[in-house]
Amino acid sequence: MPAQVLQALVAGLLIGSVYALLAAGFSLIWGVAHVINIAHPALAVGAAYMVYALATRGVDPMASLAIVVPLFFAVGVGFHEWVIRPAARRASELALVSMVLTFGLAAALENALAAVWGPGPRVVNVSYTGVAIRLGELALPVSHVAGALLAAVTITALYLFLYKTFPGKAVRAVWQNRDGAALCGVDLRQVTSLTYGLAVASAGVAGVALTLIYSFSPASHLTWLIFVFLVVIVGGVGSLVGAVLAGMLVGAVINLAALVIPFAWVPFLLFASLGILLLWRPTGLFRR
Amino acid sequence: MVEVVPAMGEGHERGGRDVRLSRRQFIKIAALGGGALMVPRLLHYGAWAWAQAKPIRVGCTLPLTGPFADTGVWVERGYRYWAERTNQLGGLLGRPVELIVLDDASSADRAVSLLERLITVDRVDLILGGYPGTAAAAQMAVAERYRKVYISMGGHMASFQRGFKYSFGGPPLMGQWWYEGAWRWLANIPREQRPTRAAAITVNNPVGMAVRESMLDGLKRLGIPLVMDELYDLPLASAEPLVSRARALGADMFLANGFFPDGVLTIRAMKALDYNPKVILQGVGSLIPEWVTQLGPDGDYVVSGTAIHPKLPFPGIAELNKVARERWNLKWAPQYFLFGYAWAQLLQQAVEGAKSLNHAVLVRYMRQTTFKTIAGELRFDERGLPPPYEYATQVIKGESELIWPPGRRSAQPVYPKPPWRR
Repeated sequence: MPAQVLQALVAGLLIGSVYALLAAGFSLIWGVAHVINIAHPALAVGAAYMVYALATRGVDPMASLAIVVPLFFAVGVGFHEWVIRPAARRASELALVSMVLTFGLAAALENALAAVWGPGPRVVNVSYTGVAIRLGELALPVSHVAGALLAAVTITALYLFLYKTFPGKAVRAVWQNRDGAALCGVDLRQVTSLTYGLAVASAGVAGVALTLIYSFSPASHLTWLIFVFLVVIVGGVGSLVGAVLAGMLVGAVINLAALVIPFAWVPFLLFASLGILLLWRPTGLFRR
Repeated sequence: MVEVVPAMGEGHERGGRDVRLSRRQFIKIAALGGGALMVPRLLHYGAWAWAQAKPIRVGCTLPLTGPFADTGVWVERGYRYWAERTNQLGGLLGRPVELIVLDDASSADRAVSLLERLITVDRVDLILGGYPGTAAAAQMAVAERYRKVYISMGGHMASFQRGFKYSFGGPPLMGQWWYEGAWRWLANIPREQRPTRAAAITVNNPVGMAVRESMLDGLKRLGIPLVMDELYDLPLASAEPLVSRARALGADMFLANGFFPDGVLTIRAMKALDYNPKVILQGVGSLIPEWVTQLGPDGDYVVSGTAIHPKLPFPGIAELNKVARERWNLKWAPQYFLFGYAWAQLLQQAVEGAKSLNHAVLVRYMRQTTFKTIAGELRFDERGLPPPYEYATQVIKGESELIWPPGRRSAQPVYPKPPWRR
């Protein structure tokens, strides 16, 4: 039993860190720009297809990051400049408008992917798929470890950028007080564009990590959106640390609860806990 | 006798012999000649007239986008190929077929409202079944209300026990029969070699619960205790805890009653945890071509059931395999392509047999007739169901093979399942 608990805990933490990676960019945009980007997981699915296309040509998913990250950064900047900014100028209630707008974008992206790739599911198979690192009785799937490593590196880079660099501090300043930051000379447009670039690039990395673990299809973004919302709400909107801890918490709770209660009750436990949490701390666990 | 002289005044002599035609002979020749000249024109007119005949409108809804689109598009391709082929062969009751397929975006609610629109607004003559079981079950009630023949997979046994008169499973996708072939195959393995403990995970929805009934029934008959019986909701985030528990309980038979994405997650977890039961039953995710094309060798050796298969010897299957090869570069026709074609083929046979588009007449005809389809001979009981099917399949070397019944075998079953390849 202890070995099973340890196995469940570690596997949960590994998967949870990948959820955290997917949620981090979503949370960042929500926090900084007050935009609820429903298309965030759809962009990750887009990255997954890019990884698939490269993998069928013999390129390892890790190597595909060299294309995915800069490309998705550019997509993020373009997304802000040509989609969100014009909408923000006209909308009085940006959060609501952005939800509708990005939902439409997600649907359009899903249809575009289905038109190009077909609606069928895809699986990325690499040499380490289904291979595990064995530590005594503990078996760590290499694909999960690789996904968690990607998450750790990306989130650490985002954290260092936000807390240790001047542009990162500007992003945080806008996040905390938009008008105050503008009065201090922060270029809101530039900072917001940068935020979008980083967030969408992180969605791209999350797409790479998710392909190592899950199968995907154009409609997978709807599934992934559930995890994104769960993690962001538990962690607190706009909190990077919150997203990390919440992701790992969600992963660990799912796996550990399955050891002691029927698995069918795990989602109930998860969402009931979420309800109680929201009553206790409406801003999430880790938002100050 | 009247002499007929050609108008030009020449050519009436041949070989020096004088040729004279009677009026009657002249009329005959002129009529034949004129007729011959008219044949191409008449043929052209015939085709034109057929094309101008009021088409028979056949409507349906399918999930062409959303989570069920991966299989929905294959059903659509089956329907479309049937319509194309029917029109090439002269249509239905001598009229062209016009197929209307609406996208329900994988929503059963939308499937219901769109079917009502097809019946009441578009006024289609015939309807075809929707997909998946949730949509089909909901649409069966609509078909019954409007008294339209509805041939589909149905929504497992419960949907056929509502006393509907107009619904037929032709063939159905029946969770309750899913593993019947597998149980019969396992019953033929010497008792001492059979699995001794089973562990199961089942998706918590109507499909999963229907397949679970087949599982419980079969395990009871074979006397195999079920040591783990877990349900999960979609999306399945992680299969490791479930697989690791099955392994710890020493289950040498694993049943994964779920779809493709959760099936992939489960298989990968089994491989990573090096869990090697003697047999893995996977219903119903392994039914789609992606199980072998995408999952690769890891998808090998799973056992499942089916109602239709590209390696069955029934007339028409070979032609559909050829179509799949030519159009989509697939070695074998996908099973949902065959399902779609079979449902439409059955409707066609009913219409042509009854020589009517009157749905009450069609229902009477369908209840009295044995149909010869690509799914074999189908004869329906009062519930609209054919006798239970008992095919078992196993993925062997990247191909779905029929392993039961022995007379239909396309390959020898592999038992016990070899350890995971590294």
